[in-house]
Amino acid sequence: MIKFKLNGKIVETDAPATARLLDILRDELDLIGTKEGCGEGECGACSVFVNNLLQNSCLIPIGSIAGADVQTIEGILETDQFKILDECYSIAGGVQCGYCIPGMIMASAALLTKNPHPSEEDIRDGISGNLCRCTGYNMIVEAIHLAARKGDGIWQRK
Amino acid sequence: MAEKITAYRFDRLDQTLNQLNSEDCAIMAGGTDVMVLHKSRRGVPPKIPKPVVFIDHLPELKQVYRNHKDLHIGACCTYGELLEHPLIPIALKNAIQTIAAPAIRNRGTLGGNICNASPAGDTLPLLYIYNAKLQLHSVSGIRTVAISDFIQGPRRVNRLQNELVTEIILPAVLDDESHVIFEKVGNRNADAIAKVSFAGLIRVSKGHIDDIRFAFGAVGPTMVRSSQLESLLLGKTLPLTQTDITQVVTAFDKIINPIDDHRSTAFYRKKVALNLLHYFLSLKHDQPNQ
Repeated sequence: MIKFKLNGKIVETDAPATARLLDILRDELDLIGTKEGCGEGECGACSVFVNNLLQNSCLIPIGSIAGADVQTIEGILETDQFKILDECYSIAGGVQCGYCIPGMIMASAALLTKNPHPSEEDIRDGISGNLCRCTGYNMIVEAIHLAARKGDGIWQRK
Repeated sequence: MAEKITAYRFDRLDQTLNQLNSEDCAIMAGGTDVMVLHKSRRGVPPKIPKPVVFIDHLPELKQVYRNHKDLHIGACCTYGELLEHPLIPIALKNAIQTIAAPAIRNRGTLGGNICNASPAGDTLPLLYIYNAKLQLHSVSGIRTVAISDFIQGPRRVNRLQNELVTEIILPAVLDDESHVIFEKVGNRNADAIAKVSFAGLIRVSKGHIDDIRFAFGAVGPTMVRSSQLESLLLGKTLPLTQTDITQVVTAFDKIINPIDDHRSTAFYRKKVALNLLHYFLSLKHDQPNQ
């Protein structure tokens, strides 16, 4: 039995230790905000936080996160950081089909938490592991710039 | 019904080594290669043919420290941890910053990149030019081996069943004023596997080349480096003459043997590799790494 913290609550699973965190989230715990894209760590659609670090849940065997603190897109919905990103992605037109967006939001939040005033280059590096086939990225970059400005002061980790 | 999978995650290194000594196991560090290599269909755990031993939580494999001018890096340090660590040389950080993307850098480990022994392994050209040595632990003790002797071919390494790579040692890298460049050519800057990669190091003293090293990735079964060709340039002044550059580039043309595969062609790889070498040898190297 493997135990870890998920969005603030302790969860347990008896899945094999090599099972992917992504599958546990979606199939066992019904948290379907985290998406599967490539399944090989190249597209970022499955991004989550493990101990506050952005990681690809398709590459995480659950055996390696016993005792860890995992947050998914569902776990950050009520935060001020999410609300700012939500608003800014809407204003900038950063969402089209939406499939990449949970991962993009996680990558955006990870970037801004580490670097609240990113340059355009920092932003492009911050989302470099996330593929979007609709927007051409410019609107997403704009959304993150906007979130840095509008959310000035909320990104520093306490 | 899920297949039964045996997995171990010990709190200590000695327990882990005992397990490796008693059974042939698959070692899992960050998992960024292993999980892809054994990928099943959606919803089905990767099929790893041996019992799995998790190691990426072991504190003994997470340390970075100096021993005289040598830098010791724990095998399970992630790229992200190395980017944050004050002892890691800036040139190495600059190179790591171009590898993968943030989410992979938070999981992928230096030891994992070495043991995966991909011909295109991102850090390998760098580790070859740093003359990296690996420290392997087993129940019978510790041995140290040069990276070029450890990696024997694609996914083939000189590791016994009961051994674990615990540290990567970069000899005399601290306080060294060498200029280092790293270039990776791929379909995409982030995440993509390299078509060709290159690392070069040069140290100039009183106007003369005191030390010069260069290595290529993805143009042969392992990294390609030639101390013999490097030594032709020792003592020369910068900028190098076209004659010297051409001599080395022409000689390299004969020792690299890239292949055609789904990522690129042998022709393209050779052309780009030689262009990178030409570029490196033509630089004035008067700007320190920053």
